[in-house]
Amino acid sequence: MQIPRRILVLILLLTSSFASLAQRINAKHAQLELVSQQSAAVPDGRLWLGVHFILEKGWHIYWVNPGDSGQPPVFQWQLPPGFVAGALQWPRPEKMQHSQMADYGYHDETLLLLPVQTPRQAPKTQRINIGAEAKWLICREVCIPDHAHLQLSVPVAASADDDPKVAPLFIRTKQLLPKPLPTAWRAKAESRGTEIVLTLTTGKSIASAEFFPLEENQIESGAAQAVSAKPMGMQITLQKSDQLLHPISRLKGVLVVSGKAYGVDAPVTGQ
Amino acid sequence: MKKLLKSALFLAVASILVLFSVAAKVGDAAPDFTAADSNGQQHHLASYKGKYVVLEWHNQGCPYTKKHYESGNMQRLQQEWTAKGVVWFTVISSAPGAQGYVTAGQENDYLKKMHASPTAVLLDPEGTLGHLYAAKTTPHMYIIDPNGTLIYNGAIDDHPTSDASDIASSKNYVSTALQESLSGKPVSEAATRPYGCSVKYKD
Repeated sequence: MQIPRRILVLILLLTSSFASLAQRINAKHAQLELVSQQSAAVPDGRLWLGVHFILEKGWHIYWVNPGDSGQPPVFQWQLPPGFVAGALQWPRPEKMQHSQMADYGYHDETLLLLPVQTPRQAPKTQRINIGAEAKWLICREVCIPDHAHLQLSVPVAASADDDPKVAPLFIRTKQLLPKPLPTAWRAKAESRGTEIVLTLTTGKSIASAEFFPLEENQIESGAAQAVSAKPMGMQITLQKSDQLLHPISRLKGVLVVSGKAYGVDAPVTGQ
Repeated sequence: MKKLLKSALFLAVASILVLFSVAAKVGDAAPDFTAADSNGQQHHLASYKGKYVVLEWHNQGCPYTKKHYESGNMQRLQQEWTAKGVVWFTVISSAPGAQGYVTAGQENDYLKKMHASPTAVLLDPEGTLGHLYAAKTTPHMYIIDPNGTLIYNGAIDDHPTSDASDIASSKNYVSTALQESLSGKPVSEAATRPYGCSVKYKD
């Protein structure tokens, strides 16, 4: 049966009014798009936005602490009135060693997340527009600064399911976000000369771990991190950066243990 | 024979120590070096005692280096400070085939084209000088005072971008450190995170 043209157009209009309209843009050695996990913005709720980077093979972008070189992507958000953005959330990075140095970042693909609180009163329009001015550095053996305007149009509705097109990407990425340390665990750091020793007590012996410092200029990114298993956990020895001239009171970063990322914010004792 | 063996052992240990020293910490003696410039002249750091010495790591292809050269910012700094008696060494540690690597002739052409006036450009394709100072980025700036002490290690300024339009509103850490030190004050921001592309070392 042939569907009359008028009906086809109507179907198209109806389906598009219920869908988010993202635009995938082509950039230098990458593609970007601004996407939302939910298929609509629900008043007095949460909308998860994401900047999706698809990188050409071998090229990388940087984590919030880029390490020894490079710069992280930065965004200027354009949200409708009443919509409040939370902090940008970064999945756990990779460590990229080169010569005696190391950077922190992402290859192939990544999604940087932005939780947005929607206003209690529904916007008067049926759709809202969200924009972002994005600036980033993409590198392989050379570095290229780039920028783009990203846009997303999202319908407003009383309720919304996840957008099946992008939900798996959001779910995968959320598993890579650092989680708070379990309440039964303890983390403490001790400054010992040129080293900071981070002790993690979990109740079980741990043989391997990796620490990514959140703040620049504290830990030497390119230095090896010696991990020693303890009966109730582990100790990881971090080399202080030569640039660290004063004692620090807290050590903040991401600790990856058994493939899971945790946010650490430990007090630092000692000299 | 015993004396010879002893000296040989001493030299071996000393050279190993030099190889593994990551010794560019502010407040310490700046690591001594001898390096050749783009005119074939050798420069020995210790012979510059009594003067301020600035080291500027450079890669002409890096967007962060371009920010400071295409705007004329680096050239202005070189001119201002060499006129005040500061010795300014631009250092190129890019390996052959990597971005930023230049022959002596190419570098001298670049200096003319860009109207750059460092005291000299030290060519370091083996990366020896770079590794000695643990130079991480281009640009990465170091300042050595007349006593041979490292008084600054880090970024050129406080806007870690590749945008030349940020220069006007940036605090230049190099000028600030030199001004403070010259007026007998301690350097207020002596160690900052250098920003730029990674130095393209020979692996």
